[in-house]
Amino acid sequence: MVAWFSAKAKKLASNKKGELNMSISRREIMKMGLAAGTALSIPSILRAQAAPAAKTVHMVISGDLSVFDPILTTTNPTAYHSLAIYDTLFSLDSKGIPQPQMVGNWGLSDDKKTYTFELRDGLSFHDGSPVTAADCVASIRRWVQVHPGGQLLIERATDISKKDDKTFTITLKEPLGVLIDILATTTSPLLFIMRENDANRPATEQVTSSIGSGPFKFNQALAKPGASFTYDKNENYVPRNEPADGYAGGKVVNVDRVIWDNIADQQTALAALQGGEIDFVEAPPPDLFPVIESDPNLELQVLNKSGDVYFLRLNFLQKPFDNVKARQAMLHLIDQEAFLQVMAPDPQYARTVTSLFGNTTPYSNDENTGWFKNGGDPEKAKQLFNEAGYAGEKVVILQATNIQKFNDAALLVASALQKIGINAELAPSDWGGIGKRRTNKGPVEEGGWSIFISNWPDQEIGDPLISSFALANGEKAWYGWPQSDEYEALRATWADAGSLEERQALARKMQGIWWDFVGAVLLGETISPTAHRKALTDLLEVPLMCMWNMQKVSG
Amino acid sequence: MAHISDTLTSAAAGRQPVFRFVRVARQRALVLIGGGLLLLLILLALAAPFYAGDPRNIDPFVRLKPPSPEHWFGTDHLGRDVFARAIYGARISLTVGLISALLAAGTGLLIGVVAGYLRKFDNIIMRIMDALMSIPTILLAIALISLTGPGIGILIVAVALPQTPSVTRLVRSVVLSVRERSYVEAAVCGGARLPKVLWRHVLPNTIPPLMVQSAIVCADAIMTEAGLSFLGVGVPPEIPSWGNMIASSRLYLATAPLTIFAPGIFLAVTVLAVNLLGDGLRDLFDPRAKRRR
Amino acid sequence: MAFYLLRRMVSAIAVMAMVGVFVFLLIRLAPGDPAVVLAGPSATEQMVANIREQLGLNDPLPIQFVHWMRDLLGGDFGTSIFSGRLVLDLLAQRLEPTLSLSLLTLALSVTVGVSFGILAAWRAGGLVDRLLLVFSAFGYSVPVFVIGYFLVYLLAIGTGWLPVQGYAPIGDGLSRWFVHLILPTVTLSVPYIAFVARIARASMLEVLTEDYMRTAAAKGASSYAMLFHHALKNAGVPILTVIGLSFAYLIGGVVLTETVYNIPGVGRLVVDAINNRDYPIIQSVLILTSGLYVLINLAVDLAYTLIDPRIRY
Repeated sequence: MVAWFSAKAKKLASNKKGELNMSISRREIMKMGLAAGTALSIPSILRAQAAPAAKTVHMVISGDLSVFDPILTTTNPTAYHSLAIYDTLFSLDSKGIPQPQMVGNWGLSDDKKTYTFELRDGLSFHDGSPVTAADCVASIRRWVQVHPGGQLLIERATDISKKDDKTFTITLKEPLGVLIDILATTTSPLLFIMRENDANRPATEQVTSSIGSGPFKFNQALAKPGASFTYDKNENYVPRNEPADGYAGGKVVNVDRVIWDNIADQQTALAALQGGEIDFVEAPPPDLFPVIESDPNLELQVLNKSGDVYFLRLNFLQKPFDNVKARQAMLHLIDQEAFLQVMAPDPQYARTVTSLFGNTTPYSNDENTGWFKNGGDPEKAKQLFNEAGYAGEKVVILQATNIQKFNDAALLVASALQKIGINAELAPSDWGGIGKRRTNKGPVEEGGWSIFISNWPDQEIGDPLISSFALANGEKAWYGWPQSDEYEALRATWADAGSLEERQALARKMQGIWWDFVGAVLLGETISPTAHRKALTDLLEVPLMCMWNMQKVSG
Repeated sequence: MAHISDTLTSAAAGRQPVFRFVRVARQRALVLIGGGLLLLLILLALAAPFYAGDPRNIDPFVRLKPPSPEHWFGTDHLGRDVFARAIYGARISLTVGLISALLAAGTGLLIGVVAGYLRKFDNIIMRIMDALMSIPTILLAIALISLTGPGIGILIVAVALPQTPSVTRLVRSVVLSVRERSYVEAAVCGGARLPKVLWRHVLPNTIPPLMVQSAIVCADAIMTEAGLSFLGVGVPPEIPSWGNMIASSRLYLATAPLTIFAPGIFLAVTVLAVNLLGDGLRDLFDPRAKRRR
Repeated sequence: MAFYLLRRMVSAIAVMAMVGVFVFLLIRLAPGDPAVVLAGPSATEQMVANIREQLGLNDPLPIQFVHWMRDLLGGDFGTSIFSGRLVLDLLAQRLEPTLSLSLLTLALSVTVGVSFGILAAWRAGGLVDRLLLVFSAFGYSVPVFVIGYFLVYLLAIGTGWLPVQGYAPIGDGLSRWFVHLILPTVTLSVPYIAFVARIARASMLEVLTEDYMRTAAAKGASSYAMLFHHALKNAGVPILTVIGLSFAYLIGGVVLTETVYNIPGVGRLVVDAINNRDYPIIQSVLILTSGLYVLINLAVDLAYTLIDPRIRY
């Protein structure tokens, strides 16, 4: 009881604090200087006159925001939440080039081992405290524990420390050409800057305060987990002067409030969009595209041009897929066109994918794909299964019943396997159940598995530095545990490949080996347009949803 | 409840209960319509392999097609034949409905008789039943299914378990009222052994209301299966069941309405048949209601 | 009477204790893992293991149970594994929509259902009776979610008369609140009205054929007085019982209706929690609903003695 009351009291206290900060802080007044000072007596009147109805945007995000700390999870809703309320040191622009965001000036020493970063002016957290170099150092230290790129950074770094309130340095053992790219990563978790106190927590302990220095403030009082979350415009945010470009540039907020409504049922969500009760649906189901296109008030827009690659992971440790011939059989069997018919019926939003490096990266290539390219060859698959010595072993396919595309893909795989006489069996459960079962390395009789289905962003799937999909170091690799020492040896040289051409050549070699040992089987790539009312404009076309820049035309 | 039991005792004591039943049933349109419909559905389901296509045959290239000579009700979002699936769906719904009704009735009968006759256990048994009954059916079923993952066996248990307490309560109340009867008391005092008393006097009085209750349980079970599938925790998705079909076709109400209406109508007709049968049986066993008609 | 009350209290506590053990075991033995859901789809095994350790999911079951019971008895329902918020706070946010929907449904169903049932019984075999037969056959046979979508298409999307989804807190104005609840309430009420009406009809039929009713009729009591004074009073017991018993049934319908209309109520909270394996929420909701059920039925049992003095304990 005591614990309950004290927690309650704490919550009340923090709410109170939040309210106080709504008024302009003293720091703000000083910064605005004399001219603003004279205007200070007016704003309340001005605002009362100028502000028409408060502009509120209602959005439906697919998936539930259940974790508020970006370091703890890689789910999209948490990334969107964090992009709204936190800021980053660097951001990628629309061409994928890192641009300074919170950083004002930065420099590199002549020996290319010491980076010095200076924060730009005007940065403050939602609780009013200024952003300091100490906050950045603590945030980097926490982030490197969980991000693959960060792990590379920490391996090479000898020191990360603050020099003064606005300056910090990263010192390396040897040069690391991709350092700025790593800091600007858009692979979850992004490097968000939190308050030092929050960032000093262990990387396994959730930070729930949701206090950042980003363009939106998280409204704790209106947070209703599973129902709705509210983000208010951060009036104190000082955007950069550059126009918004990708994740980079000035983060100008043109609405007063954004509310995420959690509408679980897609039919209901569409009805609400048509009725004008919400403005934006992140991922409408492909079969409803014609309905959306025929509604004069609605439009589809692709924000995430990179797309998602769907794939099968095969269990390398157990029969029958411990045999490379059986894995190659799957490459022959899978007809991506058939899968895409179901997962993305409108060809505008679907494409096949045969490169380990996806369709949209500079490393995408066609090495060693000719022999299976079109798939859909059950006879060849049957023959290879026989050569692999397949003797009726049970093939268990994990089926995620609560994720439509995974669910349908599992049905298709099972049907294709059964048609060539493979003893395929579906093991349905929700994603939570699959997430647990896929960690089981044992045979299917002991709760193990043979095949599961998931997806990965096209841009990242083959990235040798950050993608765990593209690992092949046996039992240390991602679920499925593919092993190829030859491939791993090549992958280890990636970080030191100096030029784009060198990396492209390396990519071809890696992919050549990858399709020989068949690290996974790709099912196709889908692009998911968002649906929104036409009154909502200027949405940023980036893979992870950003809520600044968008405008809501009234009327 | 007392008068029901009285008349039923006399009915059951009739010399040829089976003939009597049929003769009365012929007069009872409800029983006939309900029972007939149900029988027809069962036959359709059993004979499915002889006339319906393969309900599991997936063909992504003919998805969401309108009705045609090859596909009478069109195809669903995976290109499966909706007619075949609706017919095969009857197997699942009827199996789930009938077996859970049997299971709930059997278990409920056993527990109810024990609770009603052996007063020592009455309190503890009824408290356990209260505990079971106090958890909302759908939530209990979801929780149970999440224990083992979706499957028909667990679904039947999950649907039957929450229904058991209502049967138990019913049986117990009949037993309680019967055991107060003078002839039962007399039999007990006369030294008749307990099983014999139960067999001779209690069971015949329990069966008729139990049949009515079983019909209700059966209809409820079919609806619960559909509801669970709607929430995504019913029969495994590869198996054609009406609940699954409706759930997975929610998005196609506008574009391919038959994917929802075909299973929806089958579902409604089946539940209707079971309910009519239940109503008919109740009227049949309750001559006072009959008299008033 | 006091002794009876005491005995019922003790047994109510016993029932809830049983529910407690049952619910705890059920949820903990389930195969899913909240740490996995928390960590996201592309998380590594190490990330998942860290989270599991931090949540205390590695403790032995009996220890987890003891901790839970201790907290529960102290009024601490725990913290949601996912949102890190107090379960009681989450429940409090969700209680208003669910209560609004349930109570409105109950009110509508009981008024319409009981009147419908009485009228049908009064002229058994007549027009109203046949109408009830058709209506209840329909109400019983079409799933709530199909009725829901049908009504949405008919009354909300087609005409724009009523909101398609969502919930407006009662604090935002009574009319907004009510308008948002019309469709969900009607949807949920269809099977419930059928249910209540049939029970009311059956109970009334029994009472109407009792000897004392014939006596009353013979003595020249007017039909209406007969119907409402004598008959309803006697039929009240079974009707009340059924309403008490069907509380759990109502909650089931609430879960489905909340999903169709996107009402942020307790039903959706617990369905989401089951998907996420958010143990503290599932446990608390099941314990609380069963507690509520036990209380309602205790109240119903006591009401018996008031309505029908022949029942004594």
